[in-house]
Amino acid sequence: MKDPAAPAGALAPTDVDLRGEFAGFRLETPLLAASGCFAYGQQFAAFTDLRRLGGLVTKGISPAPRFGNPVPRICETASGMLNSIGLENVGVDDFLGEKLPFLRELGVSVWVNFFGTDFETYVECARRLSAGQGIAALEMNISCPNIKKGGIEFGTVPEVAHRLTRACVEVSSVPIIVKLSPNAGDIVGMAQAVSEAGAAGVSLINTITGMAIDVRKRRPRIATTYGGLSGPAIKPIALRMVHQVAKALPELPICGIGGVMTGEDALEFLMAGARAVQVGTALFAEPNAIMRITEELRALLAEIGSADLHGVIGCLEAIPPEPPV
Amino acid sequence: MPYEERVSAAYFEARVEERRSLSGGYFVLQLVADEATPIGATVPGQFVMLRGEWGRDLLNPRAFSVFEVDGDRRFSILAKVFGRGTARLATAAPGELIMVTGPLGRGFQAPRAGRTQLLVAGGVGLPPLHLQARRAAERGTPTAVEMLYGGRGRDDLLLVGDLSEWGVPHALATDDGSVGHHGRVTELLEARLVQAREVGEEVEILACGPTPMLAAVRRIGLAEGIDTSLCLEENMACGFGVCLGCAVPVHGPRPYRYCCTDGPVFDAKEVRW
Repeated sequence: MKDPAAPAGALAPTDVDLRGEFAGFRLETPLLAASGCFAYGQQFAAFTDLRRLGGLVTKGISPAPRFGNPVPRICETASGMLNSIGLENVGVDDFLGEKLPFLRELGVSVWVNFFGTDFETYVECARRLSAGQGIAALEMNISCPNIKKGGIEFGTVPEVAHRLTRACVEVSSVPIIVKLSPNAGDIVGMAQAVSEAGAAGVSLINTITGMAIDVRKRRPRIATTYGGLSGPAIKPIALRMVHQVAKALPELPICGIGGVMTGEDALEFLMAGARAVQVGTALFAEPNAIMRITEELRALLAEIGSADLHGVIGCLEAIPPEPPV
Repeated sequence: MPYEERVSAAYFEARVEERRSLSGGYFVLQLVADEATPIGATVPGQFVMLRGEWGRDLLNPRAFSVFEVDGDRRFSILAKVFGRGTARLATAAPGELIMVTGPLGRGFQAPRAGRTQLLVAGGVGLPPLHLQARRAAERGTPTAVEMLYGGRGRDDLLLVGDLSEWGVPHALATDDGSVGHHGRVTELLEARLVQAREVGEEVEILACGPTPMLAAVRRIGLAEGIDTSLCLEENMACGFGVCLGCAVPVHGPRPYRYCCTDGPVFDAKEVRW
């Protein structure tokens, strides 16, 4: 319904339709909770209405449970934080038995993030998880070290990512979205490699490797020395990578991730070419951040006169050249 | 009991009502919510996550043990400037908006009849034990607890007058000898345990303070076979079991438990230090 006080032709936030689709499935809003910032959802039930999320991405699941890294595991940095949690998770069996039923009942898009420690365990994980009921997609984390390859990330070598994606797509009954690492040299090459291997979409970006030092103790601030940087500090990099991939591969669905704190941040990602956006680090300080961001996005779309998402996704225009002197 | 059923926390807005400076650079920040919150049900040792309208810097909320609770809208924390977050809170003006998540975590057990709780507080570890002592006094059993309180000097020992007023027995220790025992609070604890053993008094230990002090209390408690509860502190981003940053090394089938949801109060036997 239009706000009666609004000038003729202007949109009210309630006129804005946030529904969209991603890789062939529907999203009620383009805003999802990011992996690792949402656990398995239950903890948020006390603070927010989970049914109003566009969707959620679970903590990364591996075939067997993992207990995580030594402490300190996190530290705050300028407009961001470093983490090295160590991919701690309950494993496939407990996830399917104990965690998925709660998520399935929410009626929102459930993406299950997963990883392995080598080629075989990635494929096993994809096969076993995709048999779970109520999963919209699997989000494949290729940013973790490949132990057999001497610590090289799957996510930095396009040929390796291609083979891994193809093998997982073959065994999965749901779409596979590959979460790309910004630590890859050529993000477009990586996106192209996984797209050609059958990925239904890409999520970008994962955290950027960084470090911080406690000079008084002469020690790194996290136990593993290096950790993943997240938060608003990485947003410009994420936005640039989304834009590069969207320009090069306009058909490939992109889920933008990186320091989204406001509706305006989310709209930047949509304009750069993302069809959905994940909110991560912001959820720690504000467990109902996605509700606020959703309403801010609605208001902002009304303000710029866009009644739905079609008009804004990838709508970025080039800055016109200056007239000749 | 599973965490989700045990903890009834909320995310709510509160305003700074008053900021009181204490000696030694400590301050008490009193907050009040507009509406009723679950804060009234706080158990000593439980904590809140606080963050002001700080934009994109000081990104994560800060964890503070609840110091005082008054009804279901009003509570306070006691802190000292340590980093940028506490520095920012130390200048918070009355009326300033602070977002609160809490009360969170697992607190201390209340005293049991016939067993004295020795509250071992070091420096900034005072708040949960001060609240434990206050509750004992409010229940009409101030001598069910006994405070052993240590700090660097006189200025680090706060609100000792409250203990006297409540009738809670207490002993002080300072590193510089400016008040009380000249030495460590753990020396007071050892002497007190000798005394308890001589008269057959049943005691348990509740401790909060710097990690070296907690490690010493843990050794003493384990050596004497006395039930010992430690209120720990670890970096945390969320406070409710999501970021998994605040792992605490423990003995048992899993190498880690979480300061925020399994603690912050842990059985000393469980902690793998």
